[in-house]
Amino acid sequence: MLKIQGLECGYGRMRVIEGVNLEVGAESVGLFGPNGAGKTTLIGAVMGINKPWGGSIEFDGKRIENTDTHFMARMGVALVPQERELFPGMSVDDNLMLGAAYIPHARDKSDEQLEKVFSLFPILRERRKQLAGTMSGGQQRMVAIARALMSNPKLLILDEPSLGLQPSIVAEVFEVLKELKKTVSILVTEQNVRESLRSIDRGYVLENGKIVIEDSAEGLKTNPYVLKSYLGL
Amino acid sequence: MTVNRKAVPWIILGAAAVVAILAWKPTVLIYGVQRAGLYASVAIPMALVLGIVHIVNLAHGEIMMVSAYLTYNIARSIGLDPWLALLPVALVMGIMGYFIFQLTIRHTLKAPELNQLILTFGIAITMTQAISLIFTPQTRKLPLSYVSMSATIGETSFGVYDFVYVAIALLMGFGIKWFLSNTRMGKAAVAVGQNPRGAAIVGIDVMKTYVFIFTVSVILVGMTGSVFMTRQSIFPYVGSPYTMKSFSLVAMAGIGSISGIIYSSLLLGIAEAAINGIRGASGWSGIVFFLIIIIVIAVRAYKGRKL
Ligand SMILES: Nc1ncnc2c1ncn2[C@@H]1O[C@H](COP(=O)(O)OP(=O)(O)OP(=O)(O)O)[C@@H](O)[C@H]1O
Ligand SMILES: [Mg+2]
Repeated sequence: MLKIQGLECGYGRMRVIEGVNLEVGAESVGLFGPNGAGKTTLIGAVMGINKPWGGSIEFDGKRIENTDTHFMARMGVALVPQERELFPGMSVDDNLMLGAAYIPHARDKSDEQLEKVFSLFPILRERRKQLAGTMSGGQQRMVAIARALMSNPKLLILDEPSLGLQPSIVAEVFEVLKELKKTVSILVTEQNVRESLRSIDRGYVLENGKIVIEDSAEGLKTNPYVLKSYLGL
Repeated sequence: MTVNRKAVPWIILGAAAVVAILAWKPTVLIYGVQRAGLYASVAIPMALVLGIVHIVNLAHGEIMMVSAYLTYNIARSIGLDPWLALLPVALVMGIMGYFIFQLTIRHTLKAPELNQLILTFGIAITMTQAISLIFTPQTRKLPLSYVSMSATIGETSFGVYDFVYVAIALLMGFGIKWFLSNTRMGKAAVAVGQNPRGAAIVGIDVMKTYVFIFTVSVILVGMTGSVFMTRQSIFPYVGSPYTMKSFSLVAMAGIGSISGIIYSSLLLGIAEAAINGIRGASGWSGIVFFLIIIIVIAVRAYKGRKL
């Protein structure tokens, strides 16, 4: 599905990603690392938000290194950005519908998809008419996840989905991801390693732009370094 | 139709003002509405490009001027009526708008807004100077008999031709409102205006949207320019005050509001006509224009409403 090889990426003259190899198949993959490790930058390179310096990125067997963001979306990659990036002056409904309106394979099924999304996040149904910009941070994150799902993606990328969410909602979001991974590939970055380890199949640890650990969820749970640095044990 | 309760005093006030003006000098109302039509038909294209996708274009009035010159010269050289020249001119203006965007504005989209301001100000100066060099600063006017059409109601007679501006403004205003809420490109434009990064993520071609909206606004203000030259004398600086006035009208209407432009233009047009109707006071109309704008914006800011 997604195959990254020898990726180099950065800003100006500063190299942020140094020779990263990462793969996502029909599974859910976690990407962990401290602040500033380069997780968002890596995702930006996949999504065409920042241009890679070197290496290759393949999606569905096609090279996509220099593909514009809107084409990535239309190819079936949906992003839930760390900063959410909603349309603040539009209602929840309009935000969600825009998630599907410009995606050829999702456009005609947007009503069904809306029902699915509402059953995952019932609170959004109650708030359909509320302006997205007036919602709380956590609610906005749900709108962002729901909007991404509206595009009926093949690959769902979530950048720190639990950021700013109360613990009970975090658990709920990861429950939803667990459910979703049956039908869609997932790449998720997280600070909350403990919670996310329950929903992922495999994971990578990124530090200073390099992958330092790659293992199954089980392997990560027992890795002494992960236990010490990320699970605080 | 539901009427906002808060609007009731304003509607009454407006109606009272209209009655008072009618009792005093009915022509003030007529010329005021015509003037409002002109202001709105220049400002509405700017409301589209500034208010919806947030591109600052300080060459707006100058683009209207260039289109007016183009129309003038086509009309002069091959004897085509300006109204017939309007469509080919619109096509040329569209091409011009496209290239202005691709060669210049495109490169300022991610930069601070000041860059756009300075860049388009430069384009404005280039346009006035180029037209000055090619056609000399001399004033030009096409003799057209139909522009002096007049009508008489009771004892007052007045020019009716300028009502075309009102028609153009209404057509553009309702056309754009319809476009924004009913077409794919229109909805994309609103989304891009609210969050370009979010728009790209949901599959909207952000650059194409910017190009389209900018080009359309150039075509629309170009059309206003073609009509403008049938009525007004033109000279290289004729467009500059309209850049300023359109900018102020967009600010006064509230960023993103198309109907707001129509109301604001009405208020300013009638106020200006009223000042002009007072003997010896016409020199004040420019000052009053900006005074009203300053008051409206200040009151709105004071109320803490969103601009
Ligand atoms: N637009 C930018 N311009 C310059 N440097 C940037 C930019 N965006 C990120 N960086 C730098 O790149 C490095 C990696 O940032 P990135 O946002 O990818 O980290 P992250 O792993 O997502 O961190 P976090 O967990 O805090 O979200 C950081 O040192 C950051 O300062
Ligand atoms: Mg990040």
